[in-house]
Amino acid sequence: MHPLLTGRLRPLLYLAMWVGIAALLGAVMVALTPRPIGQAAIFIGPLSLFYAFVCLSAWWVCRANPLATTPPPRLLAVIAGGSIQAAALWVGLGALHAALLSRFAHMGPDRIGIFRDLGVLGIAGIVLYAQSMAAHYFLLSIETARSAERQVFASQVTAREAELRALRAQLNPHFLFNSLNSISALAGSEPESARRMCQLLGEFLRASLSLGARESVAFGEELSLAERYLAVEQVRFGARLGFEKHIAPEAERCMVPPLLIQPLIENAVKHGVADRVEGGTVRVNAEVRGGTLEIAVENPRDPDAPPRRGHGLGLENVRQRLNALDPSGTRVDVFREEQSFRVRLVLPAIENGAEAPHGR
Amino acid sequence: MAAEPRRIRTVIVDDEAPARALLREYLGTEPDVELVAECANGFEALKKIGELSPDLVLLDVQMPKLDGFEVLELLEQRPAVVFVTAYDEYALKAFEVHAVDYVLKPIGRERLAEAIRQVRTRLAGPAAPVPSASALASAARAPGQHLERILVKDGANVHVIPVERVDWIEAQDDYVAIRADGKTHLKSQPIAEIAEALDPARFVRIHRSYVLNVERIARLELYAKDSRVAILKEGKQLPVSRAGYARLKELL
Repeated sequence: MHPLLTGRLRPLLYLAMWVGIAALLGAVMVALTPRPIGQAAIFIGPLSLFYAFVCLSAWWVCRANPLATTPPPRLLAVIAGGSIQAAALWVGLGALHAALLSRFAHMGPDRIGIFRDLGVLGIAGIVLYAQSMAAHYFLLSIETARSAERQVFASQVTAREAELRALRAQLNPHFLFNSLNSISALAGSEPESARRMCQLLGEFLRASLSLGARESVAFGEELSLAERYLAVEQVRFGARLGFEKHIAPEAERCMVPPLLIQPLIENAVKHGVADRVEGGTVRVNAEVRGGTLEIAVENPRDPDAPPRRGHGLGLENVRQRLNALDPSGTRVDVFREEQSFRVRLVLPAIENGAEAPHGR
Repeated sequence: MAAEPRRIRTVIVDDEAPARALLREYLGTEPDVELVAECANGFEALKKIGELSPDLVLLDVQMPKLDGFEVLELLEQRPAVVFVTAYDEYALKAFEVHAVDYVLKPIGRERLAEAIRQVRTRLAGPAAPVPSASALASAARAPGQHLERILVKDGANVHVIPVERVDWIEAQDDYVAIRADGKTHLKSQPIAEIAEALDPARFVRIHRSYVLNVERIARLELYAKDSRVAILKEGKQLPVSRAGYARLKELL
């Protein structure tokens, strides 16, 4: 549906504009070939109404040939071709109308007058249609700008939501319940270990709260949070949980959104260790390559394990946050093998101290 | 009057050593509780419970290989069960499978003692109804969730078959023959029950005696009036009844 035809006011305004155009054309025709004003009105009135609708067709022509993607020569051809076709149609109909008027109503100018009228129609037709196309391109570009604005806004909302979810997920209650249960167990037999675990848990909670409140953190800080988490989990899982890291020094200085890899580490522990009798080793690698930071989190997996509930939620969250940060410069790759599961994050390497790109 | 209270032979099943240690410590103060085994995963639990026939199992839900509900599904005789877990969302299902109690982590000494008191009452009373394996199996799934793997007990072994590896399932008397990865597994279960538990978008009851993984279909051929055969990618042919064809058509 053409946007002009929606609502009540817009079609009326448009028609009013055409009454003005019709009056102007009628005046030109009367000036060129003098005749009573009523005769000119009967001729130009219906024709103008018809052409008012023809000019609306420019909307579809413009949409089919968007300004941004159509090369200029083609654009010119489209405008010229469209205008000439529309004007030719109008002239043809004008000739028919003039013939009908002179034959049945015996009114209208002589043959030369009719030719002059049709000449006026032809020139005006081309100009009016070309103007209509220009106006439509203008309207469409406003619309594009608006929808781009909406998209930016929507992606900001998504980013905020993803951050909130990440923070909420951070306080994973089952992690806390299980950790408290472990502390309770240690309190009887190994009070020193229980104290150590209380301290680790406290440090982890404090760090996750303070990191979560920031816009971006050095990857090294993010990693040390993950290591505290793993230390707590190691008390629960014992030798079943292994951890290895290979982190390039320059990667540690890169700025990343806070709590970005934490959900990936938690997934790795859940699927790579908790769901496997023999446990497994969580591996984190990070390096900077040609201006991009690559972080990989890998865990072994049980090929028989079904996809558990909640699987992929953490991953989806990471994807959304990176996408909101920079849709073209970031990437999340998932490598699901028979025996292992690896997630690789790729994001721009911006070192500590440089202006953070994701300030709002 | 009974002179000696009945001893409660107990097995602890939890994959975390500290959690087992805590249970062990708390149970130590219950004079009639005798700890006979500790297991760190579902397979071990299945083996020990089968060997020792304990009176009570303290069972974690989330464990490697088999979760707590799956262990129950595979047990031939049923001890009293108390679930011990950090997750509160399985409580309803736990009582559907007639668990005696459901204790949340972190565990309190008094809360566990209360559970043991209930176990004593249960053991002293008439035998509790034992839910069918299928009721257990369906309890192990969340509502609206479909079976993700089929457990088959084969002597002392348990085969875990992810449903995506299943080609077809055939009814054979009281058993179903499950064809997966070129092997056939027998399981004692009516075919209607297993058909109902599987994801209807992937598995179709093509015949009274057959459930087929639709991804395995190469083509369907008309065999006689109103009867068709499904030709699988590996070449095997299975009969398709009229009702089965209607179900297939609806899906494909």
